[in-house]
Amino acid sequence: MLTTHSLSADAFAELASGAGDTAVVGQLRAAQLSKQLMLLHVVARAADRVDPPSRATAAFRAAYQLLAQARAADPGAVAQALCLPHVGSWAHDCLAALDSGAPPDFGYLAAVAAAAAVPLGIGFELDAPVRGGRMPLPGLGAIQVAASTDGWVRLSSDGERLRIGGHIDVPCATLVPDDGSADPAPHWRGTPLIRAVADGQAWEVLLEDADPYLDRFALRMLTGLTKAEVTHWRQRIQAAWELLVRHHEWAAGPIAAGVPVVVPLVPRSDHDSATSPAAFGAIATSQPPSPVIMAETLVHEFQHIKLCGVLDMLPLIKPSDERGYAPWRDDPRPLGGILQGVYAFTGIVRFWNVQRRVETEPDAILHASALYERWRLEVDPVAGALLSSDSLTATGARFVAAMREHGRRPEAEPVPAEAAQSAREVALDHRLTWQLMHVTCDAAEVARLAAAYQCGESLGAESLPAGRIEEDNRKVDSIPRSRLLAMRFQDPGRYQRLSAADVPELAPADALLVCGDAKAAVAAYRAALLDKPDPAAWIGLALALHRLPATPTRPVFAAHLPLLYEVHACMARGGSHADPLELAAWFQ
Amino acid sequence: MSQQKQELNSVIPDLRELSLERLAELGDSVLAHSIALYRQRLKETGMPLNSFTARI
Repeated sequence: MLTTHSLSADAFAELASGAGDTAVVGQLRAAQLSKQLMLLHVVARAADRVDPPSRATAAFRAAYQLLAQARAADPGAVAQALCLPHVGSWAHDCLAALDSGAPPDFGYLAAVAAAAAVPLGIGFELDAPVRGGRMPLPGLGAIQVAASTDGWVRLSSDGERLRIGGHIDVPCATLVPDDGSADPAPHWRGTPLIRAVADGQAWEVLLEDADPYLDRFALRMLTGLTKAEVTHWRQRIQAAWELLVRHHEWAAGPIAAGVPVVVPLVPRSDHDSATSPAAFGAIATSQPPSPVIMAETLVHEFQHIKLCGVLDMLPLIKPSDERGYAPWRDDPRPLGGILQGVYAFTGIVRFWNVQRRVETEPDAILHASALYERWRLEVDPVAGALLSSDSLTATGARFVAAMREHGRRPEAEPVPAEAAQSAREVALDHRLTWQLMHVTCDAAEVARLAAAYQCGESLGAESLPAGRIEEDNRKVDSIPRSRLLAMRFQDPGRYQRLSAADVPELAPADALLVCGDAKAAVAAYRAALLDKPDPAAWIGLALALHRLPATPTRPVFAAHLPLLYEVHACMARGGSHADPLELAAWFQ
Repeated sequence: MSQQKQELNSVIPDLRELSLERLAELGDSVLAHSIALYRQRLKETGMPLNSFTARI
């Protein structure tokens, strides 16, 4: 009788708060090992059903037996091999292939088994696949078998030496990851291994730049890193590790326990990072611009890894097609994605809350403080929206409620006013922009309200119609303004060097807002909207009003901007250009 | 013990102590429920098996 994995109540509470120590990560990893074995069982059953057996299924069978032998000799080592994200990713893709009626890549298990047997000195003979002239040993490296060919090679090992086909013979002891301390053996390229050490605490992580099963992210893997590139990654990860160990201990130990692989991504203009539920333990990232951002990226992506581990164990989300607002994305997101995002930000908030006290330079303090405030503000409303969506299971509701409760704990040290104001404004800008892009209102209701306004009728106690999400319903042309508002804390030095003339695409009202003249900006946006109903000008007007002392009208902008815009636009289509502030006052 | 203090049982069978030979001998039915739940979960959370790269 099989039992199932369980998560202790304490571990659940720790994870829900955004944390989770190495013991908790150990519980997640233990479940991942069983998950891999379960998926291996699925693939093995599929291999059994292939009749007559193919070379690939024969290789799979031999590999399975070799893994069984290796596991009997050293269960811990084989558990580590099976828990590599390479293997998880392969097993996942096998399941996907089986579900779509395609043959799975049975042969890859030969590479996995050989990689497990070689370090243990276990002799074996089996066929293994060659792709592009390379035969991978996942977690160790790859043997260059021939130039750019696909096919099979016979592997034969006596535990001391590995023979590949008829022409390559290498000592097993040289088939190790490349930690930079030795010249590579002929035919061998070890996967770059980074040993980051700080204050006696170590993190060993592979920089996987070759295995096809980890080239699975929205951005491509940066393959075949040069020695200089590997050195740069080593330095960046070492510096980030020092920061984590010295100031973010809550994250450092668990990351070392739960992240065996970093996948470098091809860089774009912006920094990108990702995880995949298929590849538990792998963080994919382009090279971050600084050690601080590298550390934040590790914290951020490790949150996703932990939540993926929890979701593998416990259903937190119910089936739903519902989409909603995610403050970190420009598009409406499925609720599962929103849960992933808000959970990541519980870690990011904690990171910046510490980092704002660690930094010593004024610009860095502003940056850290504003990012702390920016994301701290979002955890509560996003968690609240999830809790009221009916999208969570009972366990999911417990998880999110605990996460929300933790986020509500008061912070003793206030955020500097400039950072707080910038963060709140950027948050408002994002929310209103998203609403004008994706929220629409019932056309008949809009027309009725427009007519009522034009007839001078009072709105009275009438409740206003709720909007509905309609993706990309409108185009909002406000990117230059939004980027400048965020640049105040993202890159304060650059922002201070800029003048409005440096950003010619800014509208005159935007320039007034960015330059800090909110009163003049209100007048300019008002004039612009009297001329034509422009979504970007409506958002600008709302932002400018939020810089001035509070008025009874102001909350209307935050609560009903899509409706305001549509009623205003409806009247404009009929030739009547209403004053935006008077219209907002009518709605209050 | 209150409900809050109880362990949460997952849908993943604990196979850690099972040898691979024994795992191979398990029929389809023993793990079928857990595997079906796993497949279902992936689909329910908006992560279809064939495009499994989404972040947030």
